[in-house]
Amino acid sequence: MNIKLKKILLVDDSEFFLKMMGRTFENNGFECWFASSAAEALLFLDKNPPPDIILSDYEMPEINGIEFRRLLIDNNKLKDIPFVFLTSATDNELMIEGLDLQAIDYVVKDTPVKVVISKINNILNTIDKQRQLTEQEIKKAAQSLNFKSIPVQSPNINGFKIDFWHRAFDDVPGGDFIDFIQVNSRFNFVVLGDVMGKKWSAWFFTFGFLSYVRSAIRFAVLNGEYSVASILQKVNSVICFDNMLKDIMSSLSLLLLDSETGQVTYAGAGDLPLLHYQATNQQITRIKSTGILLGLFESGNYNEQKISLQPHDKLFIFTDGMIDYVGEGGKKSDFDSFETDIKPYMEAGEEFEAIKTKLFMANPASQADDQSIISIYKN
Amino acid sequence: MISIHKENNSTLLLHLNLKEANLENADEFKADLITLIDGHKKNIALDMHQVEYIDSSFLGALVASLKYAISLKLDIALVGLRKDIKDLFELIRLDKVFKIHASFDDLPAN
Repeated sequence: MNIKLKKILLVDDSEFFLKMMGRTFENNGFECWFASSAAEALLFLDKNPPPDIILSDYEMPEINGIEFRRLLIDNNKLKDIPFVFLTSATDNELMIEGLDLQAIDYVVKDTPVKVVISKINNILNTIDKQRQLTEQEIKKAAQSLNFKSIPVQSPNINGFKIDFWHRAFDDVPGGDFIDFIQVNSRFNFVVLGDVMGKKWSAWFFTFGFLSYVRSAIRFAVLNGEYSVASILQKVNSVICFDNMLKDIMSSLSLLLLDSETGQVTYAGAGDLPLLHYQATNQQITRIKSTGILLGLFESGNYNEQKISLQPHDKLFIFTDGMIDYVGEGGKKSDFDSFETDIKPYMEAGEEFEAIKTKLFMANPASQADDQSIISIYKN
Repeated sequence: MISIHKENNSTLLLHLNLKEANLENADEFKADLITLIDGHKKNIALDMHQVEYIDSSFLGALVASLKYAISLKLDIALVGLRKDIKDLFELIRLDKVFKIHASFDDLPAN
């Protein structure tokens, strides 16, 4: 398992003190960032991801610790970073003033550094436990709603073998959604969507999108209509009128599988191209659609295309989390690399389960977003 | 996060000072951009050459801001996208949604 270093921002005008504290913290599993003034700390916080905790001196020239804390509280992005005061003063009034500013604790500078580290570790552990409890509560509430944005198992569809894999970012349900809708023994719809955003806030909106998609499919089928582009257009029109979803966009790949003819019909909305592996010549082709994200404009320019899958061909439909890579130079999205990485598994005729273990699940540390992929194999 | 480069008759030229545009900064970005749109009532040209990675939360914020601008009959153009990001925009057809230019110099004259 990837062990994340705890990140601490140390703020003190004494360079000697910063070095001394930094060395000890680093020897105890922390990644340290340093600032020699409140102004420098604010500049740092503006340009970098937030640390897990800030340990700041009280007595500093220009902006002192109390003023620094006030500035953080006034900033929505920074106010929730746990904050601990460090000072040589033992003035009770000062301590009370600091604690009134929602500082979590107060450490006197004479305290042995090892004790300071234990204290900081205890604070971080308590915060983490609290976060886990809250998450468990939300998960329980979500389960009681009995809404699943990801199915429990793959469907059995005549003439095709369907597999899928999904991994939520940070183990919290997010904006990806998958559905398999059986109309009758001949027709099945495959749905893959990605509500823009992450974690719970995106997950909540998957309800809305998935409900509209399911309804549009059912109404279309009732009218004897089997056009995936026309279904996408209808979903888009309704979403554009829905005020609750006005700032929320989603991609969607919609496919119709015809078990009688073996034909697959596809329309996409702001989704990534599909990858079609042709067994006869061992080549992968990209299948691109023209449609734009759901909810953006009333006319989404949705087109529809027929994909002829030959026996042993495979079709992959996936969300953008699958093409995110975290390397030494930071994160990047790289469709070409994903295509290159998956190709040898196709050529070797590997089953989906094997590709899942060897490729998709191989490096969880590089995950940057929800990841979902559906494979359609023509028997 | 956003700094003003220049303002001309019809367009406000902005720099996005982020290396990683993600969930952590998406809401603040959207709020700041909408404040700028409201305050200046001009088209926006957003220079993103510093951005090396953009996640779907930030794309959502960008697209929601565009929707807001369009509701005021304004537009948002993106400038200086790095190759991987431009490729991603093309893959998901956001190049059909945003006008994309290599630099501020390539913006149409106002």
